[in-house]
Amino acid sequence: MPIPQEDRWDWEIRPQTGWWGTSLTDLWTYRHLAVGLVRRDFLLIYQQTILGPLWVLLQPLLTLITYVVVFGKVVGISTGDTPPVLFYLAGIVLWNLFNDTFTSISSTFRDNAQLFSKVYFPRLIIPLARLSGYLFHFGIQFGLLVLMLAYYFLFQSLPVPNGQWLLLVPVAILLVSTISLSLGLLFSVLTAKYRDMTYLVGMGVRLLMFLTPVIYPVSYVAEKWRWMVQLNPLTPLFELFRRALLGHGVVSLLTLGYSFAFTMVLLLVALLIFNKQGDKLIDIL
Amino acid sequence: MGKVVIQVEELSKVYRLGTIGTGYLLHDLQRWWTTTVRKQEDPFFQLPGTQASPEPGQALWALQNINFEVKQGEVWGIIGNNGAGKSTLLKIISRIIRPSMGRIRGKGKVNSLLEVGTGFHPELSGRENIYLSGYILGMSKAEIRAKFDEIAAFSGVEKFLDTPVKRYSSGMYVRLAFAVAAHLEPDILIVDEVLAVGDAEFQKKCLGKMRDVAQSEGRTILFVSHSMQAINNLCDKGLWLHQGKVKATGSAASVVNDYLTSAQRVQLKQSWTDPEHAPGNENVRLQSVELVPHLLTPDSPLDVRTPLTVKFQFWNLLAGETSLSMGLHLYTYGGELVFDRPTSDRLCRPGLIQAECTIPGNFLNDGSYYISFVITRNTSVDLFRYEECLSFDVADYRGDYNYYGKWVGVVRPNFPFELKPAEAGIGHYQSLSS
Repeated sequence: MPIPQEDRWDWEIRPQTGWWGTSLTDLWTYRHLAVGLVRRDFLLIYQQTILGPLWVLLQPLLTLITYVVVFGKVVGISTGDTPPVLFYLAGIVLWNLFNDTFTSISSTFRDNAQLFSKVYFPRLIIPLARLSGYLFHFGIQFGLLVLMLAYYFLFQSLPVPNGQWLLLVPVAILLVSTISLSLGLLFSVLTAKYRDMTYLVGMGVRLLMFLTPVIYPVSYVAEKWRWMVQLNPLTPLFELFRRALLGHGVVSLLTLGYSFAFTMVLLLVALLIFNKQGDKLIDIL
Repeated sequence: MGKVVIQVEELSKVYRLGTIGTGYLLHDLQRWWTTTVRKQEDPFFQLPGTQASPEPGQALWALQNINFEVKQGEVWGIIGNNGAGKSTLLKIISRIIRPSMGRIRGKGKVNSLLEVGTGFHPELSGRENIYLSGYILGMSKAEIRAKFDEIAAFSGVEKFLDTPVKRYSSGMYVRLAFAVAAHLEPDILIVDEVLAVGDAEFQKKCLGKMRDVAQSEGRTILFVSHSMQAINNLCDKGLWLHQGKVKATGSAASVVNDYLTSAQRVQLKQSWTDPEHAPGNENVRLQSVELVPHLLTPDSPLDVRTPLTVKFQFWNLLAGETSLSMGLHLYTYGGELVFDRPTSDRLCRPGLIQAECTIPGNFLNDGSYYISFVITRNTSVDLFRYEECLSFDVADYRGDYNYYGKWVGVVRPNFPFELKPAEAGIGHYQSLSS
């Protein structure tokens, strides 16, 4: 008995787009593309610059100097028992990861309109490649932070961090990257559809920094206003990052649980919307 | 021929004109409110066939109710005018855009080549670009590595693999880009008008490669081209799209022929029975202008081989004997004058005057042309000028000549021209080498 031909189709294209979109196997097939894109971006950013990859370190160093002078000396924000240099650098490095990843992923569709309209591959590859690229940058900057920490441990008698707390550093990094990826995915759809959103991203991310303990510790915020800062799911993660590395930070199971739950819901929603809308967006790019 | 590998059923793609997706958050919220919450019709758009079809001018049917089946190993040529929906169809099969209605089902891995050099970055070296564009086209690292030398050799730019491609000539760039694509190994390959670039030798190489892939390896190819020559040589099947609908399917040769015959946008004859309303003035009035192509068979297209006869008749209204002459001006569609052929002067009495001129076959290039003429008294005084009275298209025909790019030049005369060994030259060369 021959099997009816209809049963043996490998693929089908219909008008409806699915919520789940690309399967994991599909993504896995294109893993080399993600690596290739990360490599390309890294080669491109520093081509024909004099300092080359040193810029990855120079940017946080210059920011650090500015923050120490402006917020530490001129404004006089207290960083508690933590040396200001370490305090600001930890904040800057983690904020850069969030800021760069989110901003660059949010323009996925606009930046790649030409490519997307000529060839099919799982669209999620581009955001993932961008995230990987910025995680790589973060790794280098984190190395700088570790060197600075080592200096303070050895010569400035800063207490060495507790080993158990150190295990939580990757958790903070992972959650911050997930939030930036998810927000980026959501806004990539929005900026492709509505141009106004581009301005919102630029402005929003700058304003968000003031609601995140980058330049001040949560303990510095008056009790009355602390809820405003703590509503931001990034806050517990920044505090956790500092608590684990530098020994000071306002961290509780409740706030961390809130951050975690928020991140997971955001990721789910973002993935669903990105998959559902991704294929339709090509028509309007 | 084997099993069906692509089945296209009632496929349509409709675009809303103006701002697709409306572009404003407020509009979209309003749409969402009326359609989803209040379950009413979309205030901005309705899918046709549901209740009310969109008013003309609101929607653009890029594709309308397309049905066809492709069997394994077939090479399909898709033809049609600009805007006929060819690229839209390929993009839907390539999964780049979604159809509005209908479905496509298929078997096997699909790769598409809609542009030469997709994913190429000018700053990167040839080597980097081979890998990157290979990945983008869906090849794996191992696959590219295994074929790397072959790709480099096919492109002919081995020496410059470590140079950024922005320093390549455009020919080298295209060669390298196509070399990557030519080494894809999909079950179904989708190719959009990529032969328009590159030089003759390279085009031949590409077509040869595509033919090999189709014939020896049993791959299925869907191929869009404006070169009827390439379609005729490469494809077994043809699909002719016209304004989003299938106008004809069948063997490539017959579809191409139908297309060429109909696509000719022509004004082959104009005539006037009443001299009062005919173009002209108090001196002369037109009676008829006509272009008669001498076709091989009645339904064959007007192509570069076809001789053409232009016939004019006009009333001479001038009293007495007048010395008249006429000038025939042939222009390309772009407005370039191909030639100006005047008649000699002749003394004419009032009444109907006629003139005839034959343009031989194998003289004009393919393209669109129009004819203007002027009637002159005493060689120097223009009595009447009539611009663009006739227009016609000359289709391409190349016989055994294997070049598929645009044949440049205003004319394509078939003057005798060939290579042969020169008798004196042989001895000369031998004396040089010995």
